[in-house]
Amino acid sequence: MTHAPAVVIDNGTGYTKAGYAGNNDPQFIIPTCLALRESQGGNLSTKRGIEDLDYFIGDEALANSKTYGISYPIRHGTVDNWDHMEKFHQALLFHYLRCEPEDHHFLLTEPPLNPPENREYTAEIFFESFGAKGMYIAVQAVLALAASWAHGKTEQTLTGTVIDSGDGVTHVIPVAEGYVIDSAIKHIPIAGRDITQFVQQLLRERENSIPPEDSLEVAKRIKEMYSYVCPDIVKEFKKYESEGDKWFKRHEFVHSVTKKSYTIDVGFERFLGPEIFFSPEIVSPDFLTPLPQVVDEVIQGCPIDTRRGLYKNIVLSGGSTMYKDFGRRLQRDIKNMVVARLRHYESVAQVNLAQDQQIQGKNVDVNVISHKKQRYAVWFGGSLLADTAEFNSCYHTKAQYEEHGPSIARFNKVFASIH
Amino acid sequence: MLIDLHPANRVLDETLRERFNGTPEKLGQLKLADFDGVSYKVSTPDSKTVLHVSMYIACFAQLRAYGADDVLRREYGNLLEQTPEDGFDVTVKIDLENLPENKEDLIRKVSLLKRNALAAPFERAFTAQQEGNESELMVIQYRPDEAFYIKAQHDRVTVIFSTVFSEETDRIFGKVFLQEFVDARRSPATQNAPQVLYSAREPPMELRGLPNVVESENVGFVTFVLFPRHFVGPAAEGCISRIQLFRDYLHYHIKASKAYMHSRLRIRVDSFLKVLNRARPEQPDDKKEKKTASGKTFTRKETIGRPLSPVHDLSSHFQDPLHNPSTYGHCHL
Amino acid sequence: MPAYHSSFNDGQYRSLGNIALLPIKTKIRGPAPSAVDAETDDIVDEAIGLFRANCFFRNFEIKGGGDRALIYLLLFIQECLQKLQKLPSSVEGQRMLLTHALQNFAIPGENQFPLNAMYEKPVSKNDQDQLRQYLSQLRQECATRLATKIYDGKEVPSKWWLCFSKRKFMGLPNVGTMA
Repeated sequence: MTHAPAVVIDNGTGYTKAGYAGNNDPQFIIPTCLALRESQGGNLSTKRGIEDLDYFIGDEALANSKTYGISYPIRHGTVDNWDHMEKFHQALLFHYLRCEPEDHHFLLTEPPLNPPENREYTAEIFFESFGAKGMYIAVQAVLALAASWAHGKTEQTLTGTVIDSGDGVTHVIPVAEGYVIDSAIKHIPIAGRDITQFVQQLLRERENSIPPEDSLEVAKRIKEMYSYVCPDIVKEFKKYESEGDKWFKRHEFVHSVTKKSYTIDVGFERFLGPEIFFSPEIVSPDFLTPLPQVVDEVIQGCPIDTRRGLYKNIVLSGGSTMYKDFGRRLQRDIKNMVVARLRHYESVAQVNLAQDQQIQGKNVDVNVISHKKQRYAVWFGGSLLADTAEFNSCYHTKAQYEEHGPSIARFNKVFASIH
Repeated sequence: MLIDLHPANRVLDETLRERFNGTPEKLGQLKLADFDGVSYKVSTPDSKTVLHVSMYIACFAQLRAYGADDVLRREYGNLLEQTPEDGFDVTVKIDLENLPENKEDLIRKVSLLKRNALAAPFERAFTAQQEGNESELMVIQYRPDEAFYIKAQHDRVTVIFSTVFSEETDRIFGKVFLQEFVDARRSPATQNAPQVLYSAREPPMELRGLPNVVESENVGFVTFVLFPRHFVGPAAEGCISRIQLFRDYLHYHIKASKAYMHSRLRIRVDSFLKVLNRARPEQPDDKKEKKTASGKTFTRKETIGRPLSPVHDLSSHFQDPLHNPSTYGHCHL
Repeated sequence: MPAYHSSFNDGQYRSLGNIALLPIKTKIRGPAPSAVDAETDDIVDEAIGLFRANCFFRNFEIKGGGDRALIYLLLFIQECLQKLQKLPSSVEGQRMLLTHALQNFAIPGENQFPLNAMYEKPVSKNDQDQLRQYLSQLRQECATRLATKIYDGKEVPSKWWLCFSKRKFMGLPNVGTMA
C-alpha cells in the first residue's frame, strides 16, 4: 500500500518522539512514562478482567499521578522495563498514532552501546505482539548525522561526531561511515536539567519574589527563553555593567496557585547557565572537563584515518544544544585546541631539521554544524530515511523474522544516502 | 482506561487546535495515517491562512454509492471542496481568518472525517429499516482482504464483518475473545446489547453466493444484529462510531492480550531465574575442605582460571551490563 | 575554561613573602609604588572585574605573585559582600566596608591565615611589617572602590553584586580578618 507511511518512534529517557515518516516534526512529543495501578505487576495471573488496560501514557499519565503509580520504562536511554515498554508502544500506536501495526513499517531508535539483546526484545514486541509489517532499528547518532543534511550546506556523509544533549546526559559519539566507534564514546554528566538547576540556584540567590513552588518552572522558562552562550564570561559581566539596558531583561510570571503576577529580573544566568558546558567546574565538584576538550579527546581516541572527517563534521542534536552561539563557541574552542596541538608538533619536528628547512602541518578543518532541525534531530533523521526508497531494502520483514527469529534484529543495514 | 478506541483522529485534533489558536504560519505538509489504510494530508498550499485537510480512503467509490457525498455535505457544508486534491478522496478547506464561533465543534467534525465518510451506508440502512424497507446488501471493501456488509431488513439491520487473522495465534485469540462477547451478553447489565454471532471460516447465510467473499482458514465472520433500540434517535451516532471501528477494536484487543501474555511469560521467567539463582551446585570432592594430619584446613585451588558454575553462567547472561548503574553514566576522564 | 588569572604574574615586581608588590592607583600611604598610568587597570580593578566570574570556581592554579595578590583581594571582596547583607544605606555601607578593611587581619605565616600552604611566610621582621602595610593598603583601596561599584549612586547596594555573597571562591569562607 503506497498510502501507508512508515512510523518513526524515538524513545528517549525523558520524552518519546513519534510520528509518520516524511514529516518535518514528530506528531507526538510525550513523556516516556506510564501511569499504572499500584497493584499491577504483582500477581498478574489472578487478574481476570481488563485491568491490564487500566493505564495511561505520556502527559495523561502525569495528569493521573495522584491515583496511579508512575513508571519510567527507560533509564539512561536504555529500556529497563519491557512490560511497561510494550504497553507504552501499544497505547502509542493504537490511541495516539492510530495505526494498525500490521499495515506499517517501523523505524525505531537505539542509544549508543545498546546491548544487542535489547534489539531482539524490541523485535519480539513489534513482530510477535503487534505483527508489524517490517521493522528497522537505527542508531540515534547516525540519524542525527542524517538530520544535518537537511540544512544543505554540507556533503551527505555518515562520518562525523555527534553531540547529543538532552535533559539527563550529554553524549559525544564518533561515527565513521555509518558505524559508531563504540570504544571512543564519552558521556558527560551535564545536560539540560543541570542548567535548569543552576539557573534556579542563581535566581534563588538574588530574586526573592519567586514563590518556592513555582521556582523550578520559572527557572525552566528563563533558561528556554533567555539563555545564550557568550565568548568570555568576564567580558560579558562588563557588558552588563556598561550597557545594562540592553542585556538585563524583565519577565512577568503568574503565580500557579494565587494567579497573581510578579516580575523577575533576568541577568547573568542568561549566559552563566549554558556556560556550565564550557566550565563545568562552576556547578560540579567532580566533573571538570569542558565539553570542547571532551570532543577533542573523543576524536583523538578514534583511528587516525577517521579523525579529519570527525573534526570536519561535528553535528549537534537535542534540546540542550539549542542555545544561541553554542556551536560557535564550541567550534572556536575545539579549533584552538587543534591548532595548538598542530603548532606543538611542528615545533617538535623542527628541532630535528636544519635551520633553512620549514615544516608545516596540514590545517585541520573544524566545523560545528547547527541546523534548524536540531531539537528533534534524531526523529527528523529517522523521518527522512524512512521516507526513502532505500528504506524498503533495509528493514526486517515479518517473514524474515518468522524464518530466522529475533536474532535478525541484531544487525541493521547502514543507509548509504538519501536520494 | 485504554479499552475503547476513539473515533476521532488525535493528530488532526491536536494539529487543528494548534492552528486555530496560534499564529498562522506556513505549514510544511503533514502526512498522517489512520486505521484501515486511511491517510490524510494537512497543508497550506495557497495561503498560510487557508488550511487544506484531505483524506484518502480506499473504499470511497463504494461509500459514494451508498450516499457518502450527502453525509459529508451535511457535516462539512461549504467547507467541502468540489474536487478533492490529487490522490485524495475528500478535501476540506478551512479559512483560518474566518473561523466559526464554535471552534471546538469544527475541530471535532474535521477529526471525525473518516468516521463520517464511513457512516453513510449505516445511515442509509438505518433509515431504510425505519421506513420499513429492506435494503440491498451493501458491501464495503474497507481493507484489501476485508469487508463489511450491511443489510436492512424489516425489523433489524444486520452488519457482518469479515476479518483476516495473519497468524494462527491471532485466530485463536480472536475466537476466545468473540466467545466472551457471546457469554458477556448473559450478564444482566449487557442484556440489551446487540446479538453477536461468530463463525470462523464459513461465511454466514447472508453472504452465501456473493462474489469476492474469501473463504479460508484464517478468515472470521462477525455478525451484529441491530434492532431499532440500538440505532433509533440519539443512539445512532455512538452506534455508528463504535461499530465501524469494530475490526480495529478486535485486533487491538488481540494484541493487548498478547502483550498481557508476554507480561506473564516475563514474570514466569523471572521466577524461574530466582529458583535457579538459589540453587548451589554441590561442591565436587576435590574442592571440599580438607584437613592435614596436623589439623590445618586447606582447599585445593584450581590451577587454571576460575571455574564457572552453571548458575553463574546463566545469571550473567540475563543480566545486561547497561542495567548496572555503576557501569553507565561513568565519565571517562 | 578554568578560572581567570592575574595579568601581573609575568612582570618584574618585588615580592613580599611570595605575593607580588604591585603598583596601585591610591592615595593611601603604604609600601606599594603608585601606578603611573591612571587609565590602565591595576590589581584592585582587576580583582573587582574578575570577582564575579572567578567566585564560581573551586580550583585555582597559582601561576605567580600576581595571582596571590588577586586571590587575597577576591576573598576580601567576598568578606565585604557578606558585610552588606543587611542592605545598609550608601553612607553606612561605605563606612562599614572601610571599618572592615581596617580590622585586624592575619598575614601569611600566621595561624588564622587560610592559605598558608600556598603563601610563604615573609622572612624578615621588616618584610612582615611591609606585607601587613601593603595588604592594608590593598584592603582599604579595594573597599573604597567596591563601595562605589556596589552602590553606583543609589541608596541600597545592588542585588547584582549581593547575589554573589554566598559564593565561596576556592571553597574558602574568608581571608583571615579578625572581627
